[in-house]
Amino acid sequence: MIILRIAWRSLWRNPRRTLITVAAISLNAAILIVSYSLMEGFKEHAVSNATNLVVGEVQIHVPKYLVDRSLYKSMKDPKAILSTLDRHDVPAASRSYGYGLVACENKSAGALFWGVDPTAERNVFDLAKHMGEGTFIPNTPAKGIVLGKKLARSLNARIGSEIVVVVQAADGSLGNELYSVTGILKAAGESMDRTAAILHQADFSELFVSGGRVHEIALNSKGKLALDELATLASQVAPQAEVKTWRQLMPSLSDMVNMFDAGIWIFGIIFFLAAALGVMNTMLMATFERMREFGVLKALGATPWRILRDVAVEALVLGFVSAIIGTMLGLGVSYYLMKTGLDLSMFAGDYSIGGVAFDPVWRATIRLKTVVTPVVVMWMVCLIASIYPATLAARLNPVKTMVRV
Amino acid sequence: MDLRKTIIATLCVIAGLVLVFPSAQPVRCGGKLSPKEILDRVDDLFRGISSHGRMTMKITTAHWKRSLTLEFWSEGKEKSLIRILAPKKEKGTATLRVGNDMWNYLPKVKRIIKLPSSMMSASWMGSHFTNDDLVKESRMAEDYTFEVTFEGEREGHKIVEVTCHPKPDAAVVWGKVVVTVRRVDYLPLNCIYYDEDLYRARTMIFSKIGRFGERRLPTVMTVVPEDKPNEKTEVVYEEMTFDLDLPPQTFSLRSLQR
Repeated sequence: MIILRIAWRSLWRNPRRTLITVAAISLNAAILIVSYSLMEGFKEHAVSNATNLVVGEVQIHVPKYLVDRSLYKSMKDPKAILSTLDRHDVPAASRSYGYGLVACENKSAGALFWGVDPTAERNVFDLAKHMGEGTFIPNTPAKGIVLGKKLARSLNARIGSEIVVVVQAADGSLGNELYSVTGILKAAGESMDRTAAILHQADFSELFVSGGRVHEIALNSKGKLALDELATLASQVAPQAEVKTWRQLMPSLSDMVNMFDAGIWIFGIIFFLAAALGVMNTMLMATFERMREFGVLKALGATPWRILRDVAVEALVLGFVSAIIGTMLGLGVSYYLMKTGLDLSMFAGDYSIGGVAFDPVWRATIRLKTVVTPVVVMWMVCLIASIYPATLAARLNPVKTMVRV
Repeated sequence: MDLRKTIIATLCVIAGLVLVFPSAQPVRCGGKLSPKEILDRVDDLFRGISSHGRMTMKITTAHWKRSLTLEFWSEGKEKSLIRILAPKKEKGTATLRVGNDMWNYLPKVKRIIKLPSSMMSASWMGSHFTNDDLVKESRMAEDYTFEVTFEGEREGHKIVEVTCHPKPDAAVVWGKVVVTVRRVDYLPLNCIYYDEDLYRARTMIFSKIGRFGERRLPTVMTVVPEDKPNEKTEVVYEEMTFDLDLPPQTFSLRSLQR
């Protein structure tokens, strides 16, 4: 304890120097926390935007379903899977798919019909909120249909338009029915924009005479469970099924995230180096300034080890104080950026990269690593920067040191 | 993507058949024909001024099997109308084709829809026919170079085999077509279609030669896709009359709905 007290005292012997050093270190730590949180925020925002819309974190299909999306490759007991997932508290939604023809007055086009459970979509995914016009299909089957943006445009369909649908039903017969457009989706990636025609699962089953066939169960814990945890759970719940994570389902997004992670690393190293050099400079100056003092101490009989120890402890205390201030500052700014975000809409409107829609507001994400890494690094830098001149002082001849300074 | 076009496939195929098949020229017996004459005769066998008749189409796929009874009308190679008589669920469903345009009438919802051109020009994946069956305005002898590659006895029939290769600028989908006809009356036995890489793609078999009025022609046609040997589509012509006077409004959107 006496060592700490001595360190504290000698720090306040020259308050101006100490305050400048504390300001430099804490500001650097705060900047690192904020920039790291912002980069992490961008990355997680991209992923959650993509997974929360419809894909989810993990999907379950019959093996090889995604190869041809055959109407006949349906899951054996989707209800049991859904109820088991519910027992594990994992939010999930089931979907059916089938190809067919949609027509509106004299325009027609091919489409991929989705049979969805609107209640589950509303609770688990953002699709129901992703409407450009109108509303998502109601929770009870009412012969409503939601169209992809480009599909609606090519059909000249509006809210309330009557849509004629013709499909080859599961029993080979010709399924046809009239639906009314309740909503048109916002841009959500090329294939959805062009082909998606979303129906209530009950309407879908009637149209395709499919007896409630389900082709996909999408799980979305919204980050509550780790990806591999969720995938393991899915394989346990549906042992015969094919389980794929969003990284396999959206390989381009996965690659993008990996690239971004690498980018964070590279920029992180540059930022940390720059900050570390600044702190090191301050610490070096502060220690060299006291060379004479060390010489006196040594002349009075202090061992080299003792000098080294005193300087190190001083640096640690200084680093600790700076870390607290820096963390508070960094967390405060990051929190503001997490809640309010940086509005970039003056530079770009809604934009999408690789089929993933982005918000024009850039938000930070605070994670343990985005706070701890900068603080620890700054502290280490402090220590290293002070130990080097202290070692020099400890090893030098006391007379020479006193004379030289 | 398989099922996407199958509905149209079913209806279009039927329409295509009506177009391709109904009116046959009477075939003279005897006399040796050149390969060009053979191909012309096979083409002309299925073309005429007009026709009207009834047929059954039996479709077998890996997942279902069904039989449709159809009534059809055709005029030249441009116009055809086909209506489903049975099963009951689809009764009244009809397809009209005039030139390159096609419409379907759906009695359940009482609506006519026009088929998008993208779907007409696409290949009919999942069905046992291709768009070539549908928009068959070409003549073999014009779009292909041909030669007799076999003449003699095969499986108990005296036959002539004509192999056709597409001309470089011809807009056809096949890489090669082998037509086999009976030597005695030049009625077709089968056509084997090869894709662009010269792999066998499907086989069309003609059988049960029968007589409709003055015409003799095969009354059963079976299409077997090479990649799905357990699947096939069989068309049986039950009644046919040729070269009758059809009122011009037969091929109109109004008659489509009747």
